Amino acid sequence: MSDSSFQQKDRQSRFELTTLLETSRMLVESQDMEFVLNNLLLITMGKLMVSRAMVLIHHPANDTYEISKAKGKDCPNEGEHLTIKFGEKVRDKSVIRCGIDEIDLPNILPGDDHCTLFNLQTSNNHIGFLCLGTKGNKQPLSKHEIEFIESLSIISSVAIANSRMFTELRRINRMLDRKVYELNTLFDLSKDFNIMVDRQEIIRIFKFAMLGQMLIRKFFFVLEQDGKQRLVTTSGIQKEPSSDEIDTLFNLEEDLVEVDGELADQIPFLKENDIRAVIGLHFQNEKMALVGVGARANGEAYSSSDYNFLRSLGNLALLSIQKTYLLEERIEKERMEEELNIAKNIQKGLLPDPIPQHEKLDIAATNISSYQVGGDYFDILETPAKKLLFAIGDVTGKGMPAALLMANLQSMLHVLLPIDISLAEASNQVNDIIYQNTPSDKFITFFWGIIDPDELTFRYVNAGHNPPLWFKADEESPEELQEGGLILGAMPTMTPYEEQQIKLSPDDLLVFYTDGVTEAMNESATEEFGEERLLKCIQEHRQQTAKAIEQAIIKEVRSFSNGQQSDDITLMVIKANR
Amino acid sequence: MKNFSINHRKVETYDVLELTGELDAHTASQLETKLKRLIDQNQHHIIVNCEELDYIASAGLGVFMAYIEDVRTLGGDIKLTNMNPKVYNVFDLLGFPTLYDIVQQEEDAIKKFEQDESN
Repeated sequence: MSDSSFQQKDRQSRFELTTLLETSRMLVESQDMEFVLNNLLLITMGKLMVSRAMVLIHHPANDTYEISKAKGKDCPNEGEHLTIKFGEKVRDKSVIRCGIDEIDLPNILPGDDHCTLFNLQTSNNHIGFLCLGTKGNKQPLSKHEIEFIESLSIISSVAIANSRMFTELRRINRMLDRKVYELNTLFDLSKDFNIMVDRQEIIRIFKFAMLGQMLIRKFFFVLEQDGKQRLVTTSGIQKEPSSDEIDTLFNLEEDLVEVDGELADQIPFLKENDIRAVIGLHFQNEKMALVGVGARANGEAYSSSDYNFLRSLGNLALLSIQKTYLLEERIEKERMEEELNIAKNIQKGLLPDPIPQHEKLDIAATNISSYQVGGDYFDILETPAKKLLFAIGDVTGKGMPAALLMANLQSMLHVLLPIDISLAEASNQVNDIIYQNTPSDKFITFFWGIIDPDELTFRYVNAGHNPPLWFKADEESPEELQEGGLILGAMPTMTPYEEQQIKLSPDDLLVFYTDGVTEAMNESATEEFGEERLLKCIQEHRQQTAKAIEQAIIKEVRSFSNGQQSDDITLMVIKANR
Repeated sequence: MKNFSINHRKVETYDVLELTGELDAHTASQLETKLKRLIDQNQHHIIVNCEELDYIASAGLGVFMAYIEDVRTLGGDIKLTNMNPKVYNVFDLLGFPTLYDIVQQEEDAIKKFEQDESN
């Protein structure tokens, strides 16, 4: 070998080394596949003076080779997939020279049966091939040239693997970013919904969040309210579903239904609006709503993670909507309670306060409601003739209806007071009015009487009320004041009410009460307080003042029922002064 | 009310909406009202300038999704401009750039509108 040719070779190999070094630095730093492949082809083609070259990338999933990059005339199109069965043997080789090696391969480059394939591989992965056409001078590749391209192929393979890994990392990173964003959306909306009380607002925000997060254009939301399923919001929907279609959708068994041809035929609404999936939403284990979504505008299919997000967001919205109903119920309840409190005060005002007193009588009376408002009534009024009228009554039932009727009775009494008619006549009229004005299941047990304090006479009518007790001054057992007639409001006055008159003596005692006293139950609800206990209690305190007797009875009843009161208690005690 | 406002101005025949502050669940309805009104008035060449937009939540993005189709059906478009990187990242993450023209400057949006017209 001459000096000059040695120098020539030396220069050449130094040039090749420099090329390899620079290329390797450039390629390893690059994370761009496009750049790597471009360089691989350009360097190879320039160096070997090859006019056609391409890079085939292996797709293991279907064992095809994609023309990833091609340069030169009449190359197959980039992006095209070739199905060439190379087999393991070929893939193990680093270089395949078509037409020279004993391997039968179809022409990969059209019209070229002498192309050379360089295996692009990393230590554990076959990536594909670098495919070179015949050299311009038709010469086969020299050993030297092959070695050079082999080296270049190894460097490029590493760079390709790097860029793939980088791409994959970027993809995963992006996916994680999306997940984080989805979680943020759920988190933010759960805060936002929490302070919203307007259902329409929640529904609107829910819709926009769905559309924005998933790039959805077609959307509908069906909500069950008061047992009825209604379409509450839509976006991009042309024609609303019929109630039959909503019904069918609601009765779908699966919570996630991807719309297929069969279902689309069954429910034309889905077909007309190109709805892709229907998701059922639950509140307290009950299906209360559903959302339907059309295709994603970016053409991507819904992944199971997307569906999970849609469902989570949907359930969050549903929960928030249900919460507004509960809130409304609570506000309504508070309003009712407020009204009841007002009613209670009005009713209190209907009872005499303070209790009228008279020099010849010792009078005590009290009324304790079990409910906010009640049906018990008592009154003590002075008649135009300066006598005292005592009344006590009990309307069947409790609460508002009883209270209304009680107020009605009170006003009748006050209107009748100045009119000069007998108690019996007045009772007839009151009964007729109550009978006409109230439903047939509403009655009033009623007792009223007029005491003439000077004469100490007591005229009374008992309309079905617990008989008041008359303890005569010198007798142990009381008499019951029964006479009168039927309970008020049960039927029209056919038999007139009868009046009875008794003559009181000083120290006589009258006790009027409602059944709240005698029917008070003990704590275990097995026994009533009863008339006997009442009697005994009165007898024990017989010598005390009216107020003391009243309080003794109340105390006894309370301790018997251990503070549990289920009915109104009304008590009136009158003692003729000595 | 949260810190959010919309300034509406005309540039040539285009309606420019300048968004300022945070577009989220509470403020999304303001943008919705504005877009609805423009569509009702047959104004559908809309440029949304996001220069002062600090934050966008998915409910805000949803408003754009809900009205883009209407606007395009009427022969118009909504183009977004001057986004800061943080806001753009959200649009990008959810895939908006494939559906919307998101450009640097208002002038770019106007140019795009002019191109759309001549096509």
